Amino acid sequence: MTLSSVSTFTLGTSLLEPVQKIQTALSQDGVEATTGQYADLGLQLGEQAGFELSLRNQSDALQAMTSANSVISTNLTTTQDALNSIAQGAQTTLQNLASWTSNQTSGVSLQSQGVNGLQQLVPLVNTTSNGQYVFAGQNVAVPPMSDYLSSSPGMAAIDQAFQTTFGISLNSSGVSTISPSDLQNFLTGAFANLFQGASWSQNWSSASSANSTAQVAPGQTVETTTSANQPGVQEVTEAYAMLAAFGGASLSTAAQQTVVTAASSLLGQGLNDITSMQASIGTTQAQITDANAMMASQLTLMQTQIGDLDNVDSAQVATNLSALSTQLQTAYQLTAQLQKLSLAQYLLP
Amino acid sequence: MNLTDAFNIIGSAFATNAAQSAVIAQNVANAGTQGYSREVTNLVADPSGGVDVESVTRVANNALTEQMLSANSLSSSQQALASGLATLAQTVSDSTSASSTSGATANGDSPSAMLENLQNALQTYEASPSDTNLAQAVVTAAGNLTASLNNASATVQQVRSQADADISSTVNTINSLLNQFQSLNTQVVSGLKTGANVGSVEDQRDSILNQLSQQIGITTVNNPDGSMSIYTDSGVTLFQGNARSLSFTPTPNLTAGATGSAVTVDGVAITGANAPMAIESGALAGLAQLRDTVAPEYQAQLDQIAGGLIQTFSESDQSANPTQPNLPGLFTFPGATGVPSLANATGLSSVIEVNPNVDPTQGGNLNLLRDGGISDPGSPIYTYNKTGAAGYTGRIQQLINGLSATLSFDPTAGLPASQSLSSYANASVSWLQGQNQQATNQADYQNTLASQASSALSNATGVNLDTELTNMLTIENSYTTTAKLLTTATDMFSALLDAV
Repeated sequence: MTLSSVSTFTLGTSLLEPVQKIQTALSQDGVEATTGQYADLGLQLGEQAGFELSLRNQSDALQAMTSANSVISTNLTTTQDALNSIAQGAQTTLQNLASWTSNQTSGVSLQSQGVNGLQQLVPLVNTTSNGQYVFAGQNVAVPPMSDYLSSSPGMAAIDQAFQTTFGISLNSSGVSTISPSDLQNFLTGAFANLFQGASWSQNWSSASSANSTAQVAPGQTVETTTSANQPGVQEVTEAYAMLAAFGGASLSTAAQQTVVTAASSLLGQGLNDITSMQASIGTTQAQITDANAMMASQLTLMQTQIGDLDNVDSAQVATNLSALSTQLQTAYQLTAQLQKLSLAQYLLP
Repeated sequence: MNLTDAFNIIGSAFATNAAQSAVIAQNVANAGTQGYSREVTNLVADPSGGVDVESVTRVANNALTEQMLSANSLSSSQQALASGLATLAQTVSDSTSASSTSGATANGDSPSAMLENLQNALQTYEASPSDTNLAQAVVTAAGNLTASLNNASATVQQVRSQADADISSTVNTINSLLNQFQSLNTQVVSGLKTGANVGSVEDQRDSILNQLSQQIGITTVNNPDGSMSIYTDSGVTLFQGNARSLSFTPTPNLTAGATGSAVTVDGVAITGANAPMAIESGALAGLAQLRDTVAPEYQAQLDQIAGGLIQTFSESDQSANPTQPNLPGLFTFPGATGVPSLANATGLSSVIEVNPNVDPTQGGNLNLLRDGGISDPGSPIYTYNKTGAAGYTGRIQQLINGLSATLSFDPTAGLPASQSLSSYANASVSWLQGQNQQATNQADYQNTLASQASSALSNATGVNLDTELTNMLTIENSYTTTAKLLTTATDMFSALLDAV
């Protein structure tokens, strides 16, 4: 017998294997046709599986960063709104001071300007967004300014400084003898010092000067909070406190005029500084918008890459499916025909 | 020559016909028997003019048999390896199934995906560091990561222990097959000496060889006396006159770093890295490779990931003049006294856990995540947030950056040593799926080769019913003619007797 002969066993079973293989391929292609992705991705990608996973992870990370950015953006928008309101209040007070004329109740009107100003300012500085005090620097869990009261540490410190400088209490009738130039010296000296550096932190603000930072894009870190320890807030507070403290005192008209002038100039300066705070926050907001746009385009790119790895060519799968079903039919027909092809069929009656 | 001779010749023809028919019947009956070798009647002319059955030979083809045995061995070794790797690949099932690409969190349960979830949770926490819900999310993500590592490590150990148990049962099977082979071999040798028909015994012997080749790679040598010797594909004698015994001591529970014992024949190790004559194919070789090489390598990679995590999240002395060693932070393991080096990370993936000091369900404090001091709560040495400010993000940023910082992994784990933790976790998935793909493709390929070799052997030595039927027709014709001759000769005798 030569090797070209075929045993009946082989002939009978030769089509079993192709049929099994075709059926396996059919079920795989069926899954791929319905999902549009490879049936067994890990087996298909092999060594590339890690690359695919890293793309997926990176795109997830970018999505997480984008959603974290929306929280930061909300915080920054809230900060901007609060700063706008602070600036508006300062602007109104500045206008009222400009139209101020000395008369009998002028002292009381000055005081109410200051008290109103502070009452408006403190809640604004204590604005929260997503549970964080936006002007608190890193100290986001504590309101940066305590409510204004006559017995507050800030006001007590002013009384103390006044007492030290002039030797009399702010409420005594002797204050009417204080000359405008002495008062001016006090306002720009001991009084101004109360609103700067350590005294400011001790008496007025519990905010930290350092701000919280966060990554808004891979490798790009920005400050996400603002500190009440910035000159803008300090100057406006100083102006209001000045009006509140000295408006009620029995100062001479000339001295009152000095207070008004000093407060006006502080408010003007404060408005400038608040504008520059807003500008720096605006820069951060623009950075976040840019970062989001950049990450969105990266995301699109990555999704395309992931799609290239995961997705099957649906046209090819459809072609494969029809080719496989033709093959399977052929295999079945052949099996049936081979069973008939036996000498026994022709020999036996 | 006389008429009586004619009767003798006719008699021998009938006897031959009967013998031929018997062989054909046997062949036809075994047409569907896998591994059956057909038999052929060899006829020889009788000196007196008749015909004799000289012998009945079994059609054999040693070259094709050898080819089939070796194809069987290679196929079953790859299959053993592929099925083990398929189990291992379940630990990274997110890379084996098509996933939604729009989800905000990574799907699946691979350490790589869990690591990514942790990084995303940290990223969200960084935006609102005073929010304890987000800190809880980070701790939960960390818990999922440790669970994923623990599970993967348990799977590796289960695969290794299963492979060890399979090796043990394979060794038993081989020993029992060798003993059966010995008794069949003896029957063949003695049968050949006495001239008996040993065809069916040889068939059985071949079938034993076939089974044996699936368990262990073998080569065979046919000896002149009809006996057969079996050697492993590496040349160790398994059978020569009598059966050698394979010995193996099972290890019930193979933990990380533990090595299973080797299979030995006559004291010579035939599996394992240090075996002088290691077998190359057969289920035994595949199982040994899985237990001793592939699974331990994956275990080492998981351990490196766990070690890298402990190192990345460890806390350093924050004093102005640091004197204290680094201590494990968010990730630790029971009984930790320091941060283990990556070269010494064996078994970490099965014990790594989230530090109880930061887990509120175990009385921990979530804010330590932001402030540092997880290793030693309350102590200022390891506290990063000196002011206690609720908006402090320095430590969180350090952790996020740490995940993408380059570490020096142990190169013996089989992956590039210098890369970030995230890319190492991804590389591990790549490695595993690469091995899986290769083993599956090889198993497919070797399986096809084995079935082709088996077809070739069947074609060369098996039964073709049509051929047998044709032979049967020839014998039938011969019988009819002989019968006619007998009638004629009898008629002639009768005529002669009548004439007397």
